[in-house]
Amino acid sequence: MNDKKIRKRIEKIAKKISKDIMVRVENRVVYLEGRTNSWEDYLKLGILAGKIKDVKGVVNNIDYPGKKKMIRKQGGKEKVGEADVVIIGAGVVGCAIARELSKYEINVIIIEKAEDVACGVTKANNAMVHTGIGEKMGTLKQRLCVEGHKMYERLCEELNVPYEKCGMWIVLTKDSLKFKIPSFLANFIAKRIIPFIILRRGKKLGIPMKVVKRKELLKEEPNVTKDALVAVYSPTYGITSPYLLTIALAENAIENGAKIMLNTEVVDVMVKDSRIKGVVTTKGIIEAKYVINAAGLYADEIAEMAGAREYTIHPKKGATLIFDKEYGNYINHSMSLLRLPRTEHYKGGGVMLTVDGNIQWGPTISEVEDKEDTSVTADEIEEIFSMFSPLLPHFPRAVIAYFSGVRAATFTEDFFIEASEKVKGFIHVAGIQSPGLTAAPAIAKMVVNILEKEIPLEKKTNFNPYRKKPVVFRELSIEEKKKMIEKNPAYGKIVCRCEHVTEGEIIDAIHGKIPALNIDAIKRRTRAGMGRCHGSFCLPKVAKILSREAGIPLEKVLKDGEGSRLFIGKAKCLLEEK
Amino acid sequence: MFAGGKMKAGIVVIGGGPAGLAASLKASEYTDVMLLERDELGGILQQCIHDGFGNFIFGKMLTGPEYAEHFIERARDAGIDIRVGTTVLQVEGKKIVASGSDGILEIETKAIVLAMGCRERSRCQILIPGTRPAGIYTAGTAQRLINVEGVMPGRKVVILGSGDVGLMMARRLTLEGAEVEGVYEIMPKPGGLIRNVVQCLHDYNIPLHLCHTVVDIKGKKRLEGVVVAKVNEAMKPIKGTERFIPCDCLILAVGLIPENELSRQIGVAIDSRTQGPIVDERMETSVEGVFACGNVVHVHDLVDDVTIAGEIAGENAGKYAIGEFERIRKGKVIAGENVRYVVPQILRGMEDVTSYLRVEKEMENVKLIVSGKKTFEKKYRIVRPAEMVKVKVNADILTSNEVRIDVKS
Ligand SMILES: Cc1cc2nc3c(=O)[nH]c(=O)nc-3n(C[C@H](O)[C@H](O)[C@H](O)COP(=O)(O)OP(=O)(O)OC[C@H]3O[C@@H](n4cnc5c(N)ncnc54)[C@H](O)[C@@H]3O)c2cc1C
Ligand SMILES: Cc1cc2nc3c(=O)[nH]c(=O)nc-3n(C[C@H](O)[C@H](O)[C@H](O)COP(=O)(O)OP(=O)(O)OC[C@H]3O[C@@H](n4cnc5c(N)ncnc54)[C@H](O)[C@@H]3O)c2cc1C
Repeated sequence: MNDKKIRKRIEKIAKKISKDIMVRVENRVVYLEGRTNSWEDYLKLGILAGKIKDVKGVVNNIDYPGKKKMIRKQGGKEKVGEADVVIIGAGVVGCAIARELSKYEINVIIIEKAEDVACGVTKANNAMVHTGIGEKMGTLKQRLCVEGHKMYERLCEELNVPYEKCGMWIVLTKDSLKFKIPSFLANFIAKRIIPFIILRRGKKLGIPMKVVKRKELLKEEPNVTKDALVAVYSPTYGITSPYLLTIALAENAIENGAKIMLNTEVVDVMVKDSRIKGVVTTKGIIEAKYVINAAGLYADEIAEMAGAREYTIHPKKGATLIFDKEYGNYINHSMSLLRLPRTEHYKGGGVMLTVDGNIQWGPTISEVEDKEDTSVTADEIEEIFSMFSPLLPHFPRAVIAYFSGVRAATFTEDFFIEASEKVKGFIHVAGIQSPGLTAAPAIAKMVVNILEKEIPLEKKTNFNPYRKKPVVFRELSIEEKKKMIEKNPAYGKIVCRCEHVTEGEIIDAIHGKIPALNIDAIKRRTRAGMGRCHGSFCLPKVAKILSREAGIPLEKVLKDGEGSRLFIGKAKCLLEEK
Repeated sequence: MFAGGKMKAGIVVIGGGPAGLAASLKASEYTDVMLLERDELGGILQQCIHDGFGNFIFGKMLTGPEYAEHFIERARDAGIDIRVGTTVLQVEGKKIVASGSDGILEIETKAIVLAMGCRERSRCQILIPGTRPAGIYTAGTAQRLINVEGVMPGRKVVILGSGDVGLMMARRLTLEGAEVEGVYEIMPKPGGLIRNVVQCLHDYNIPLHLCHTVVDIKGKKRLEGVVVAKVNEAMKPIKGTERFIPCDCLILAVGLIPENELSRQIGVAIDSRTQGPIVDERMETSVEGVFACGNVVHVHDLVDDVTIAGEIAGENAGKYAIGEFERIRKGKVIAGENVRYVVPQILRGMEDVTSYLRVEKEMENVKLIVSGKKTFEKKYRIVRPAEMVKVKVNADILTSNEVRIDVKS
């Protein structure tokens, strides 16, 4: 379809929703302007436009009552740095790109507004290294997922990050098919047809899989529902630790010459004669020839700053429950319950193993207005239980934590990775929703290929792909533990009773290549506070160690960056006020 | 002097709170004792600076640290091998692995006393929805922050749960100058001792809202407020009764859970109601030579009972270690009408015992009936779930098969 046809099509739909909508289409990018009465209508229009064939991007500028306006912070005026390439965003994607670029003779600065890396979507996902079987055929995200998956094992080996091929069941039960057909027919289709369709798809993508009969499934997974009919097993499904991987990517990039600026927010992108000149940040100006937009949920706002916007991000929240390690062996492989057709209440997700030994259930999926909405509602908790209880009917409900992550979806629902045609030197890496964690290494390669067309990239001769593994006390043998404590008694002092994290590991994190300067940053690196008591025991201890090691007064220690002070002051501070 | 490595001990006591201290002291009368404590001696008492301890044993009210000090001093004098800052990581049979700055200890012992206390139930374990900002603490953590670490957890506080710890913290925070907006309790009755409701809430005009719970938590970085709502009989929030309360701190006093990870490792049978080991009147668990006492067995109201239980466990572990203990494991105690649990769960019927029990619901003018070989009755003007009921039972009532305890009008 050409631009005109696309416009006509959208205008026809838009009229039914609101009279005040203006549609413009330029190089297959749809620009929506005007007003609707509600956020729901705004959303509906964006989604409809995104579904139209040949549409490459949807910029949804439609206003509605109560719409949050983008507020730009004040930027610094001084020049504080320069680089060949600036990467905005230190999520797994930005850090993977930085690490890939650090293989070349080129100056790279990663800019991140948070106090640590991996503070965006990257810290709140399901940690699955997908094979790509679940993605829509022919999409960029499927291609990069399949490629990324193949790169994971080696990457995690080089960086010393946990990675396990835990395998995955796609289980079909009597209730998998909710079509209006007789149940014998549904059973027949579920048992004899669907598994083989999945298998064929896998073959096309080079993903090894096999169909497993009910009896065999129940032998391997005795806790799975007796209603199971058949399953498809995928042995190469993997799991990792998204934040440990991101920290490792960033650290390795830094070791190889990249720079990182934390607590630094990009507030403007400098463009002159349609060419990138640099970025304005809260710390000052950084001059650069290339800007890579890996800002996750805010990629659309960054693109807007550059005058190169071709998409709007519509946030989609996903909630997940985490269960006590005690039941970590309840299943042997991750699993999902196939349900067709997929509807609002009949969607994906699964029961997943983690590298830490806890089982996760989730995620849900719901459109939200606020990009920062990481709440978990009572309905979401209930929904997760009702989604997966049919798969594991007797699983003990020993929840120890829950969280939400927000997916940075574009209305075209695919990754948007390319050099901007409008602004030379601006590279979009947007719409990186699931399976972005899996695809990250392949995305990084793709970005390097894009850059290579613009500037000559020369390989470094001294690139070191390896990163030393930090001490993880609980994984050591008794003999190794003894040796560690002999060298440094702090490795003998257990601070987190649930996960057996030692003072030594916490000190290492605080003084790491990327220093962990708040409680959550320490938690992500060491697991202190991630166990069943969720920090009620170790929080005061970790806070004290952080205070001592980093020279922060105890009452000023932060949980998670600016505005998150744990304590309001010293004891008696309120009495003194009065 | 304290080097790591392989070693032997007659008895190892895990946990140096009042239970572990009492057990070590008694056990040291029989054989050599090693006491392993991950923190410092005294356990939870070190952060309880109010005076409410020891009325029964010392005949006067002491503060937590004072009460603990009595036992700590004696333990030092008794030549017990005390190792603080030493966490037990693993127990396999009678082999214990612990870690401290002295190194890894691998200890072979004859008998073990479990005295690990309990931990607090967290926000996620009771599934409170909302965001995850700074400013949400369990009551015990808040108590430690103020009393030991010297920092204030919040300015305007909502407390969920009216157990003793929650009540105590309402008063403590008020005395520190914080505004306690109210204490919210999901049950129709307060969870703590009446004396504490009066002394901690009424005396300070802090409202107690029964049949209420927190249904939402707001705030991105630091807590900005909570939503409370009334609950129905099924304890489900009633739509339309929600109320937003701006506050920067939420204190959770929503229950204690005996800390039995190690017990499970050794294979000790756990009572699903107490969530602690099933013990007999000599505090022996289902695993021979493994004894347990204090909050690890069931949550106690009063430290005096903890000390007594510790002494019983210590004495029998001592006898076991020197071969003067005959294991006899029979005699079931049945928790009957209006009885949530009874400890000990096993009575061999050979000696007089004190049974500890908690009732399901509050009742007035009731009879507690012990039925064994004979029956025995005791009258109570009131029984409440918040107050542990203690009853002395003479051996001649007990049988070696089954004893039943009911509480009825
Ligand atoms: C519930 C859920 C489950 C998921 N499960 C999986 C899974 O199992 N497997 C999988 O492969 N994928 C999964 N994903 C997807 C995956 O998490 C994401 O694709 C991936 O983390 C995206 O990484 P990112 O680096 O693009 O984004 P982010 O991690 O969000 O990084 C963007 C960064 O940019 C920073 N930033 C933004 N604006 C600015 C600015 N102006 N200045 C400076 N910095 C800025 C942000 O602070 C942030 O740190 C899941 C996602 C969700 C929501
Ligand atoms: C806030 C609060 C107020 C109270 N107020 C009163 C009162 O006013 N009057 C009263 O009589 N009673 C009161 N009590 C009750 C009484 O104090 C407790 O029941 C008693 O302290 C429990 O003793 P314990 O030894 O079983 O457990 P704890 O005191 O909890 O001691 C357990 C010890 O074991 C250690 N430990 C655990 N695991 C390990 C391991 N793996 N390795 C090494 N060490 C380990 C812990 O560090 C801890 O020191 C109160 C309790 C609380 C929580």
